[in-house]
Amino acid sequence: MSPAYLLRRLLAVILVLWIVTIAVFAITMVLPGNAAIMILGEYATPDQVAALEERLGLNRPAAVQYFEWLFNLLQGDLGMSLRLSLPVSEVVGSAFANSAMLAATALVTVTVVAVPLGIFAALKRGTKTDLGISFLAYTGTAMPEFVTATLLLVIFAAPGNPLLPAGGFIPPGESIAGFFHHVILPAGALSFILTAHIARQVRSEMSDVLSSDYIRAARLKGMRERRVVRGHALPNSLAPAVAVISLDIGYLLGGIIVVEEIFAWPGLGRLLILALENRDLPVIQVITLLLAMVYALTNLISDLVIAALDPRVRYE
Amino acid sequence: MIDLHSNRRQVVIGLAAASAVPAIGFAQSGTPMQGGTLKISHSTRIATLNVMQLSGPAEYPCVDMLFSGLTRIAPGRNSADPDLATSWDANDDATQFTFNLRQGVTFHDGTPFTSADVVATFEAILDPDFGSPARSVLDMIESVDAVDDHAVRFNLNSPYADLPISTAHANARIVSAAALAGDLNHLETKPNGTGPFKLESYDSARITRLVRFDDYYKDGQPYLDAVEMHLFPDLAAESANYLSGNVDVMLNVQQADYARIAAAEGSNALRVPAGRYVNVVMRQDQPPFDDVRLRKALAHSVDRQLLVDLVLEGLGRPAYDNILSPEFQYAIESPEIPYDPAAAKALLAEAGYPNGIELTMVASNRPAIRGQVAIAIKEMARPAGFDINVEAMPHDTYLANVWRKGNFYMAYWGMQPTEDATFNLLLTSTASYEDTAWFNEEFDELVRRGRSTSDPEERAAIYAKAQEIQFRDTPYIIAMYQDVLTASRDWVHGWTVHPLNRVFYVEDVWLDRG
Amino acid sequence: MSELVRSPTGMVGLALLSVVAVAVVFGSVLAPYDPQAFHPAVRLTGPSAAHWLGTDQFGRDIFSRLLTGASSTILFGVGATALGVLAGSVIGVTAGVVGGWVDSVIMRTLDGLLAVPDLLFTLLIVTFLGGGAGEAMLAVAVAFTPGMARIARSSVLSIRTREYVLAAVARDESQAYIIGQEVIPNAIGPIIVEATIRVSFAIMIGATLGFLGLGAQPPSTEWGLMVAEARQYMYRSPWVVAVPGIAIAVSALGFNLFGDALRDAFVTRGRR
Repeated sequence: MSPAYLLRRLLAVILVLWIVTIAVFAITMVLPGNAAIMILGEYATPDQVAALEERLGLNRPAAVQYFEWLFNLLQGDLGMSLRLSLPVSEVVGSAFANSAMLAATALVTVTVVAVPLGIFAALKRGTKTDLGISFLAYTGTAMPEFVTATLLLVIFAAPGNPLLPAGGFIPPGESIAGFFHHVILPAGALSFILTAHIARQVRSEMSDVLSSDYIRAARLKGMRERRVVRGHALPNSLAPAVAVISLDIGYLLGGIIVVEEIFAWPGLGRLLILALENRDLPVIQVITLLLAMVYALTNLISDLVIAALDPRVRYE
Repeated sequence: MIDLHSNRRQVVIGLAAASAVPAIGFAQSGTPMQGGTLKISHSTRIATLNVMQLSGPAEYPCVDMLFSGLTRIAPGRNSADPDLATSWDANDDATQFTFNLRQGVTFHDGTPFTSADVVATFEAILDPDFGSPARSVLDMIESVDAVDDHAVRFNLNSPYADLPISTAHANARIVSAAALAGDLNHLETKPNGTGPFKLESYDSARITRLVRFDDYYKDGQPYLDAVEMHLFPDLAAESANYLSGNVDVMLNVQQADYARIAAAEGSNALRVPAGRYVNVVMRQDQPPFDDVRLRKALAHSVDRQLLVDLVLEGLGRPAYDNILSPEFQYAIESPEIPYDPAAAKALLAEAGYPNGIELTMVASNRPAIRGQVAIAIKEMARPAGFDINVEAMPHDTYLANVWRKGNFYMAYWGMQPTEDATFNLLLTSTASYEDTAWFNEEFDELVRRGRSTSDPEERAAIYAKAQEIQFRDTPYIIAMYQDVLTASRDWVHGWTVHPLNRVFYVEDVWLDRG
Repeated sequence: MSELVRSPTGMVGLALLSVVAVAVVFGSVLAPYDPQAFHPAVRLTGPSAAHWLGTDQFGRDIFSRLLTGASSTILFGVGATALGVLAGSVIGVTAGVVGGWVDSVIMRTLDGLLAVPDLLFTLLIVTFLGGGAGEAMLAVAVAFTPGMARIARSSVLSIRTREYVLAAVARDESQAYIIGQEVIPNAIGPIIVEATIRVSFAIMIGATLGFLGLGAQPPSTEWGLMVAEARQYMYRSPWVVAVPGIAIAVSALGFNLFGDALRDAFVTRGRR
């Protein structure tokens, strides 16, 4: 992988992000209602709305609003949230940290559970164990997060004798135990579908590797099964696993929106829904940018990791 | 009036009866204990702390803790108690009021409270550019003068005996003159009031934490060290958290959960009848709603008791299209409108729709009760020949496209403190949220006269007449009044419920975790 | 087709899809009750002889609602995917066939759109379109378009260099003939496989939007909305959330299994 290639990829990411900002801005401008109407809500008087539009600068031409926002952004100023009257950096910053903790917990869980499960199923191909794992995996990929979350609430947080809290968030700085106690259910709801999906993919990659010619050759040479798996099969199916996980991060970022809403997790997803409801453009822009950036960078990093793991892959 | 019939710890507080009792619930048992943190759960966001503008259900308790007004709505009834004003008097025709202010009060930032703050606050409210929701109930004020540092005089352009109730409006709490002269954005996030609690941290996505204000004017109060407002956007998660004891108070209990919460061990469910309602808006400057017979046909197509049972789980009362609920002093008995599809069908035929009529009714999805009422009305009105197409939509789309523009939709309103405020909110031609295009001059005139009449008997007659015009014309369909529901854990003392859902008296609350 | 039926996943998938298809086509005929009719006396009851899957908060029959809701739920997924596939194929085939700077511009823009996670993208579009079943379907279709366009383009590219296309070019056939007769029929396989698997995603996203209040609206019997409306009552009667939740999972599972079997069948045939 050449530095020039890396640079080209990074430039592509920036171009992509710029396209995203234009798209988001254009859509908000075309549609009815603005932040002033949404913020003040149903019980506001027309006088109030007019006063707020003036104060927020919503009555200026669209192009002026966009370029002023872009200009400030390039200087590192993310602007003010229209709804919360706080700097966007402050509002989004803490939400991003909270979401990242949830996503990281889910991702670690998924990786630790799904990859061994997939490998195990592949090794036991055709047996009842394999069938059982495959069945679970198929069922898992067919359950949207809101269904899983609802079922988890009914099972683990039913009033009377709740095993786990039905929602809420405790910063790890305040209490590590409290944090983990509260993160289990949302992370579980998030992990379910991804674990199923990744286990399935890993199983099928691993199966392909196990039936490939060079593994057969290794076996014919009389190599012990354990060495075949450890020395050849595993390393060769790791790269595809990384690829699948990184692609699924896009899905995880979407799932987070629903799960945070259900479990009262104060992250980006909740903030985004609030911002959308209120046409809070500066916040919508920054969150979309941030998520797109995370996704694009994850893909880039995973390509690098895959290249390092699998010497056959070359990027130019 | 204490009602223990349905569940062991359910308390129903009637307005009229409660007026003799200053506070409600189990507050009076034992000596208040100092200290502790009260956790309150709520399901709607605290999106702003700007006392001049806010209107969210979870924002009202914050205002009530952070700020004081000149007057405050008395516990359990619609009258004014002293707050920052210790006393007041009016001239004979109620056109001039003088309020004497409490001495030695300070704002949370330590600056003293004086008449200049009162003048600045009310001038801001009356400034149309400021756009305060309190303006419509205070627009009879011509000017506000400081008599001296501790007295202010209000000059009115028409007589208004209820001024001390209107000054208790949640958006008319006193803000410091310095805050109003400075950066107005600070009102949103850095509230500086004279209330029993001051802001410690504000995170609209999670927790808003208030702490005891040591210089609050009531000696020894508040009892609590701190109050935390915890946001749970998911209603199922909110009640599960309350029931497991993670929070002490559930600000608003959903009807669907009330019985369960009332029956739960260690939980006190509180309930009070109130004048909250979902009203069907029908624009009367365009067909088909310009025909009163069609409106009456629809009125006869709603089974109001069934609606109370289905949507409110019995936690409310049927209403018969009167915007004033029985709690109001001058409310008259509304004639019952029976559910009568045959009569409705006949009226519909008279109005020119012998084969029925197809209509589209819009309902925002927040709160869910709007859609539930709409769906129920759709089903109930079908036998009379109404083919109602319910168009439910996200709240933001509703605000942008339908609210005060559509000709047939569901609105939702909380109770107002006075008759005058109720009529001027929706029904008069110049009402703040006029949305029916009803425009009845006779009604307008009666409301105007009611406002400036101080003789109770004369006033009763005027308001009775206004209500009768309302019955005659059916400007809205109002099918039920919804009770206000809240709940607190056993160890919480002094948590109350008020039909206005605007005053909370948290400085009286104390904890005994035993 | 015979491989499809022989594989166990394909058979299970086919069986599940048949059940779902019956509900989609005949649901409103089979429903024992009017799905909107109230039965106030039997609110929130569990399964009984009169109401096989119980009743909801208005006393509406859940079994009838489930049957009538099949069409809106499933057709949402199929419709959104079909629209996305159509738009994506047109864009992808155009990019693949025309090539050059047109291809570059299209691909860069698609990369941009693909950088936004599916649900987030859908959410953005649907919020601005205004919420509702039609708007949500359009939003999912738009969100699917870039991905489908990429797949269509890459299959066109791989076919362009195959012998039969080169032969057609050598025969001096017109561009339109080559695209219509040679490229599209051969590119369509992978597109159909991808589309079948996507239908299950579309169903799940549609239900999620219904759940968030941005998709189908009451009194629709769309399954995601049924879950959302019933959540308030889930501790009183778990049936009201469990039944539509399981129905969503079963349909998505059917499309997943069938799609996978379809892919295996294609891949096997390709290998032979």
